[in-house]
Amino acid sequence: MQQTTTLTFEKPSFSRRLHGMLGVDFYRLFHTPLYYIFLAVAAIIPAMILGTSGMENPQTGVAAAPLYTNVWHIIAAETPTYVVSSIAEYANMNMVFIFGGIMVSIFIGHDYKSGYVKQLFTTHPKKQDYMIAKILTCAFAMACMCLTYLLGAVAAGLLTGLSLSVDVGSLVCAILGKMIMSLGWAALYTFLNIIFRKFFGVSIASSFFFGTGLPIIAAAALLGNNAILNLFLYGSSVFACLSSGVTTLLVCLACSVVWAVIYTLLGTAILNKSDVY
Amino acid sequence: MNAIEITGLTKNFGPKQALAGLDMTVPKGAIYGFLGENGSGKSTTEKILCGLVRESGGSVRIFGKPHTDSDVRSTIGVLIESPGCFPNMSVWENMMLQAANLGCEDAKREVTEVLKLVHMEGSASNKYKNCSLGMKQRIGIAMALLGDPALLVLDEPINGLDADGMRIVREVLVELAANHGVTVLVSSHILGELEKIATHYGIIRGGKMLREMSAAELDASCRTYTTLRTRDQLRAQEILAQQGKRADIDESGALRAFDTTPAEVAAWLYAQNLLVGEIAGAKISLEEYYTDLMKEGR
Repeated sequence: MQQTTTLTFEKPSFSRRLHGMLGVDFYRLFHTPLYYIFLAVAAIIPAMILGTSGMENPQTGVAAAPLYTNVWHIIAAETPTYVVSSIAEYANMNMVFIFGGIMVSIFIGHDYKSGYVKQLFTTHPKKQDYMIAKILTCAFAMACMCLTYLLGAVAAGLLTGLSLSVDVGSLVCAILGKMIMSLGWAALYTFLNIIFRKFFGVSIASSFFFGTGLPIIAAAALLGNNAILNLFLYGSSVFACLSSGVTTLLVCLACSVVWAVIYTLLGTAILNKSDVY
Repeated sequence: MNAIEITGLTKNFGPKQALAGLDMTVPKGAIYGFLGENGSGKSTTEKILCGLVRESGGSVRIFGKPHTDSDVRSTIGVLIESPGCFPNMSVWENMMLQAANLGCEDAKREVTEVLKLVHMEGSASNKYKNCSLGMKQRIGIAMALLGDPALLVLDEPINGLDADGMRIVREVLVELAANHGVTVLVSSHILGELEKIATHYGIIRGGKMLREMSAAELDASCRTYTTLRTRDQLRAQEILAQQGKRADIDESGALRAFDTTPAEVAAWLYAQNLLVGEIAGAKISLEEYYTDLMKEGR
């Protein structure tokens, strides 16, 4: 302990504050089993889907029609399909965002369950720092889940002998687009967890519900495959498909960043206007 | 400059009023014993000070600045209810995370130093969830000490500590206040322990400050009395009443005679042929003062 008879006040800079918070969040992320479990889950999802696709019915002995003929369809649809008519059109890398939502809920929920936020918010009154640190950490985690999903899909595709033919440029744009969307999704889940911070179960359920993209799928049922749906997280995530180009990346980037900013501002306002613990 | 100045602080949780215009002044460098019954508003006040709960009205200033200022808030160390630690991480990891949050430049040195202060250096590698209640409290105090705080807000810090643990915490707090100018706001139900270290007291009831005073003022207002044991306590009580002195029999059966001296009491009883077994002069403790004060308001 230092001699503190003369009291000096130091306003910590934004970069110093954020550096500290990000350091803590990334340390926690890498040192808890949660992150690795969800990375494994992301890798297993495509393997499970491809492994069970086209399986033979043991009673009838008839094999079902395979869901996919091309490995990359489990990464993204051929064209932006907002109105889903089969599970094959729905089940792709976007599922990472559903499981990512659960991961974010558990990650942020631990801040409140452990009482860690007491220490944090006492010394860090700027609530936007908390929002930014959580969003960046969780976006990174979900982007990593996208990569393990890709690995799982390739491995399962090779084992099942599906076609690997694809336009590599479009595939890369689709994967990058979905990884960029992790930022927007992480912001949504962080925001939901701020709203329901005192109700751990509700925060998980709400993250799961919004992660499925059901509100946008319902809107698509009314509007059809309308490009206006790209204004929303699920829409832009679907837009990142196997016919993507640079425009797709720009749309994903704009949508993701704009929503991240909106949710950061909303989350900060809620934390500023309410009792945090 | 005072460390804490609270004026007309109010807080409502829905229809329930937790604080009803609290005024409170904590001088810089004081060890301020914050007393009150359960639900009197102590924790709410402490949470408002730390920015965890938003006040409904009133003003809170810490070292002359609004308590919402980020520069003033970085000077606060806190232990409210229990330390905010991740159960699956070790004590060391939890401490290092807090040091990183505070932006400590030499985190390892600081963490080692504060763990040593609370005699927890040997348990740094233990997982937090495997620590006993007393160990957790000491970790919480160590965590509050990180980053050289100028103000410590401690809510029931000696809960669950054994006698040795209490002594360690007592010594640490006195050392911090006396030699480092740290102001300590400490609430506790263990008044005997608080009495040993507090320089100032604030007693709160129903969300309002009932009494605020220095230890010297408390000392002056605490009445002296003579405690004694005889073969016939009721007769002794009668004899003292004849002398116009109030005397009560306490829970242990001893007689307490107020506003008199042991020599006077012994002389009066001897004159009435009543022999005294034990006799001594004593003073009302903080606990008794507090209990009497609480009774007065009921």
